[in-house]
Amino acid sequence: MNDRGSNCSPVIEVCHLNLKIAEHHILNNINFTIQPGRFVGLIGPNGAGKSSLLRCLYRYAAPSAGRITFFGKSLSDYPRQEYAKHVAVVLQEIPDQFNLTVFDVVAMGVLPHKTLFSSVNQQDKTQIINAIDKVGLNDKAQQPFSHLSGGEKQRALIARAIVQQPTFLIMDEPTSHLDVKYQIQIMALAKSLNITVLASFHDLNLAAALCDEILVLQQGALVAQGAPIDILTAQLLADVYGVHAVVNSVPCPYDGITQVPHIRYHYGYQL
Amino acid sequence: MKHVAITVSLALSCVISFFIALKLGAIAITTEQVLHALWHYDVGNFSQKIIIELRLPRVILAFIAGSGLAMAGLILQTVTRNPLADPYLFGISSGASFGVVVLFAVTGIQAGLALSGAAFAGSLLAMTLLLLIAKGRTSGQVEAMLLAGVALSFLFSSFTSLLLYWSDPQAISAILFWNLGSFSRADWQWLWLPSLVVSGCMLIMLLLRRPINALLLGDESATTLGVSVEKVRLGMLLLSSLLTAVLVAMCGGVGFVGLMIPHIVRFFISQATTLGLITTAMSGGLLMIWVDVIARISFENQELPIGVITSAIGSVFFLFLLMFRKRSS
Repeated sequence: MNDRGSNCSPVIEVCHLNLKIAEHHILNNINFTIQPGRFVGLIGPNGAGKSSLLRCLYRYAAPSAGRITFFGKSLSDYPRQEYAKHVAVVLQEIPDQFNLTVFDVVAMGVLPHKTLFSSVNQQDKTQIINAIDKVGLNDKAQQPFSHLSGGEKQRALIARAIVQQPTFLIMDEPTSHLDVKYQIQIMALAKSLNITVLASFHDLNLAAALCDEILVLQQGALVAQGAPIDILTAQLLADVYGVHAVVNSVPCPYDGITQVPHIRYHYGYQL
Repeated sequence: MKHVAITVSLALSCVISFFIALKLGAIAITTEQVLHALWHYDVGNFSQKIIIELRLPRVILAFIAGSGLAMAGLILQTVTRNPLADPYLFGISSGASFGVVVLFAVTGIQAGLALSGAAFAGSLLAMTLLLLIAKGRTSGQVEAMLLAGVALSFLFSSFTSLLLYWSDPQAISAILFWNLGSFSRADWQWLWLPSLVVSGCMLIMLLLRRPINALLLGDESATTLGVSVEKVRLGMLLLSSLLTAVLVAMCGGVGFVGLMIPHIVRFFISQATTLGLITTAMSGGLLMIWVDVIARISFENQELPIGVITSAIGSVFFLFLLMFRKRSS
């Protein structure tokens, strides 16, 4: 499964990407490709540029220089709505004082597939209900979105992404502020979609256990990329995060990966 | 099903209220006369003439103004994601008042069409300034708009006060009355303008309901759903300003409706549905028909200003709703 599609054209190809906001260099000369079917993790300390990089990919930020292609075609060549048919994004927080129900929020996933004059038909409705069912929120479908817990909100947003029927899913720290159980649940859900995923992580062990590949950002530069077992070393953690840690190899029971790294931090803090 | 039931009962209430509003007024007119006037209008009949020439355009204008202001409020609250946004927050009504006062000060005209024209010009001025400030910003557009709106509102108010300070007392009372709102200026000749603008806006909102509602999820989420956030927001701002400008020019200042009606409807029906949108417009119209009736019949030989009634009824009703919701949840 990990080698699936490695010979096809990449889903995303980023070449010499630079992002400058008000004379601040946010991203410097980023280069990477993501192959179809891969589950890619993006890690790096606070302020390294993880969210900015993802914003460039979901077109909320425009790169100052460089090129991003999606299936061989430049992002700017896609009309916005067309791009949204292929790429779904799960963000951390959405404002919610407007009494939208869970169903309403999930139903917004059909937006890219609709013209101004078309209405939501029975097929769309079935699809929306199935998506809500898949994330296990069917008993809460008619409740206000704002009444959900953090984990449930994330699941509802994943349901919205499912309705969008994307080929590529971007997630910006989908598991922060969540209990361990929900962190695992959310990531398992994302994996179960069997599409290409790029997600940023705070929890390195979670990233190590779940990702096929990891990209490491530090101060706007991509400093490492590769399989978790190869790049998550004590040296990298010391260089990028400034922490002392012991990294062990532990057996991994799924996905054909035999070994994943497991990080144990040294908790004495030296000033 | 619940939504359909709400919408149908609202539509029925609107139709019934419409007939009752035609019947009630300073002069007692029988139901028979009302029906006669609507189906076999006899120009020579005095009561029927009152119905057709005075009350009918007035009731229609009240309904249109109510639904238009409710829609403008819904639009602004949605695109700014601010539940306190309303058509008057962006300086549009202060711009209108400013226009009227300038007209008084320069020409001395205190009534007629020129008044509406001046109000319209004033609100267009405020709207243009606001759009110039908000345009071309990618980040913080909402914040800039809200702050600029408040600033413009105070700017126009201070000019208005200054001009009023130099005006004679008669002009001051005329302006005050105009500012409190009234449907007495309704006539058949000009009814087409608000009707056209309000129904046009309704149509546009129905077509764009998905992109508009996507803005509720935040700019970033809306972008990821393929919505051109700035374009939609500026377009909607323009639309709600146009609505407000036309309605303020016709009816003067009518507070509360734009702010509160979308809230009240939102308690019962989600605005993401098509019916939610239609319900909001109808509720605004229904409320306004009754407010106008109260304005006409409360005191003999005297009309109450609309704005006074809407604010009084509206705020009390809203407080009740809040308390009721608190207990039930």
